[in-house]
Amino acid sequence: MLNTFQQANHAALPEADAAELSRQEFVKSLKHYVQQGILPGLGPIYRTRAAERFQKETGRAPADRHDIRKAMVPDAYFQHYASVNRISQELLWDSVIDSIDREGEGLIARAEQAAASNKGELRIGEGFEVPRYVSALDIHCMPGGYAGRPGQDDLRLGALYDRGVFLYAMGYTGPDNDDMGRSVCLYIKAKLEGFQPRRILDLGCTVGHSTLPYKELFPDAEVWGVDVGGPQVRYGHARAGAMGLDVNFAQMNAEKVDFPDGHFDLVVSHILLHETSGKAMPQIFRECHRLLAPGGYMIHADLPPFDLMDPFTQFILDNETYYNNEPFWGAMRELDQVKLAKDAGFPADSIRFDTAPMAVMMFAQAEAAGYSLDAADAVAVREFTAGEFAPGGGWEVLIAQKQA
Amino acid sequence: MTTQTIPPMLRSAKGKRPSFYETKGLDQMMSMIMVLAGEVSVLADQIDLMQRAAADKGLDLAGAMQAVTLDQPALEEREARRQAMLDRLFYLMRKEAAEASAEETSEGYSRTIEEIAIG
Repeated sequence: MLNTFQQANHAALPEADAAELSRQEFVKSLKHYVQQGILPGLGPIYRTRAAERFQKETGRAPADRHDIRKAMVPDAYFQHYASVNRISQELLWDSVIDSIDREGEGLIARAEQAAASNKGELRIGEGFEVPRYVSALDIHCMPGGYAGRPGQDDLRLGALYDRGVFLYAMGYTGPDNDDMGRSVCLYIKAKLEGFQPRRILDLGCTVGHSTLPYKELFPDAEVWGVDVGGPQVRYGHARAGAMGLDVNFAQMNAEKVDFPDGHFDLVVSHILLHETSGKAMPQIFRECHRLLAPGGYMIHADLPPFDLMDPFTQFILDNETYYNNEPFWGAMRELDQVKLAKDAGFPADSIRFDTAPMAVMMFAQAEAAGYSLDAADAVAVREFTAGEFAPGGGWEVLIAQKQA
Repeated sequence: MTTQTIPPMLRSAKGKRPSFYETKGLDQMMSMIMVLAGEVSVLADQIDLMQRAAADKGLDLAGAMQAVTLDQPALEEREARRQAMLDRLFYLMRKEAAEASAEETSEGYSRTIEEIAIG
């Protein structure tokens, strides 16, 4: 399939000139090629020579993802794959920074103007402490990190994330990068019949990509997005304004959210948990339970646990841990999320994993720029392939309901 | 001209970058190749843009380009440019061959240094 997906413009998005746009498109094409053209070769390489060499050197067959890693790392094919994948990630951010630096203060002014039309609140924490699991490494190799550094924490890092993530996801999550939130919303409407949340909280919302669909699909609800990244929520507030939605944003830590007990009917997160830590994740589950009103739902859309996958698949996925500044990616998948939810107080019979189908076909049906029916269909109807962006078919969600 | 008071964005991500190759310099080499591939792609896009911009003004540049027949001087000019480009691309191999013909060696180079120091 030819991926021609294009990001939808809005008033706070970085503007690329022709050459910058070409560099950004090249990175998107390169990522597509790595996943479609190079990734499929890793399996045969492993089976036909890497496993054999491991066996010869150690006298036994590779037993788990760690052994497979040892077998693959010295192989030239794997080295090229991992190297080019990493380079594509670095070029991605660089290509967007070119646009942001060229526009300079103009971009900040545009965003501030857009923010003025968002009637929702923006709360920035005085002396807020960014947790170590976000500040230790720049997650996804995004220079400056999600939360920025002292004196380098203006909303441009949110703008960088907004454009960068579209390229990273190669547009699979739609022209507004909102497929995850949209898919979970549609799942709620389809599967939790009659559930009408009045207050919704999105934890680890970054720039609100997944947050805004909740306002769109539950327009009467009060919607909050919180994140530890000040630049992200500042930009998110502006972006919501640019998109004509009144959504509240706050710089808060999902481990200790500044709202009273039972305040929300629905607490969600999208690809948040794997960016936290072994200590933070159970605390976030407990915090969700505290924040929910009786009968309210907690839904986390994130990565499925490793025990559902074969070791080679685990190895491919674990590359993110080593090569893309994702320190908790591997360890998170080894945690028993159902047990965490139980320990946090959710009734055992209310906890389950399920799949929220991707909404990507809707973008093609709505004739979003570049979203051909063929390409959208190819993204929506796929077997799960480790190393490709997004699972084929749908997002893995963990659902639990607080005792009514 | 705008006056900028804000600092430029950071360009390096925090976190030790892994090496993928055992051979020194190969990681940098691969990154340069990828950047160059990107720049080639940018140029191709620029030519495409030129054709489309001309078409918007009623000038079928793409069609006209297709219709051009290369005469002998044009063929020679092109071929010379391609060979010159290849020559630049393989300059290190050319150097290696020249060294072989002249029987130049590392030992010989060191010997020259020593000789000149005293001679």
